[in-house]
Amino acid sequence: MKQPSAAEALAGALSAEYAAIYAYGRIGVRLTGAARDAARQAEAAHRRRRDALVVQLSTSGGTVPPDRAGYALPFPVTDRASALRLAVEVEERTAAHWRAALASTTGADRDQALAALVEYAVRATRWRKTAGVTPPTVAFPGRPT
Amino acid sequence: MAPLTGCDLFDRDDQPAPPPDPLRPMVDESLGLAAAHRASATAHPELADRLNAIAEAHTAHATELARVIGVALPSAPAAAPSTTPAADPAGALAALRALEKAGQRTATAACAAAPAERAALLGSIAAARATHQEALK
Repeated sequence: MKQPSAAEALAGALSAEYAAIYAYGRIGVRLTGAARDAARQAEAAHRRRRDALVVQLSTSGGTVPPDRAGYALPFPVTDRASALRLAVEVEERTAAHWRAALASTTGADRDQALAALVEYAVRATRWRKTAGVTPPTVAFPGRPT
Repeated sequence: MAPLTGCDLFDRDDQPAPPPDPLRPMVDESLGLAAAHRASATAHPELADRLNAIAEAHTAHATELARVIGVALPSAPAAAPSTTPAADPAGALAALRALEKAGQRTATAACAAAPAERAALLGSIAAARATHQEALK
């Protein structure tokens, strides 16, 4: 398999961040209390990374993939349980994109990709704990299964 | 390369073994982390489900690292866990969190220094050790 360039890998991560932000819009309204606050914080983290990626890709002359009006969710979000399940899925998927960027990057860009992978993996674990999923961890966060 | 000469018979020390793979210590570190979790699981049966799941992840890391660097997986960690588990569960969990945190630092540094084909695996191991700290809370 051909190694994507750093710009291609980061564009993939940006598309994943767009989808994550969209998904959290659907997730947040199904949650209450502390879980709702956690969803808001998670969404803010994905927005920060989206904004940073747009700047980074624009200034480096890379292609900035456009956001879309909507994204297909893997399953309908109808209640708290499905919202938490989707939150886990969103974090694992975005983690996978940043994990894929590790091989294409070096130095500060790789540090940034690893920080995102770690942060999203930890958040996926927190969502599993909130949902009562055991074990709350996976052996290889972000690795395609 | 120098041509072979008769002196080679007595000069074998001039052909040192290749340097050990920089990831070799991480195989032992992963096995050591697995052993530490198992020791605490034995000492605190009420934590066993949680800790044994994490131990399995560390064993999986050791297996994958050994495969990548082309060595056989050692059957046991190089050294037994240096400390016995704390008598109280909270203390045992805190000690394991500290080990995971140190392990995350090792994996983070290894990921930063790794060639492209190893970066994703090391990133996943760093992330896993971070999630273990969360699971041990």
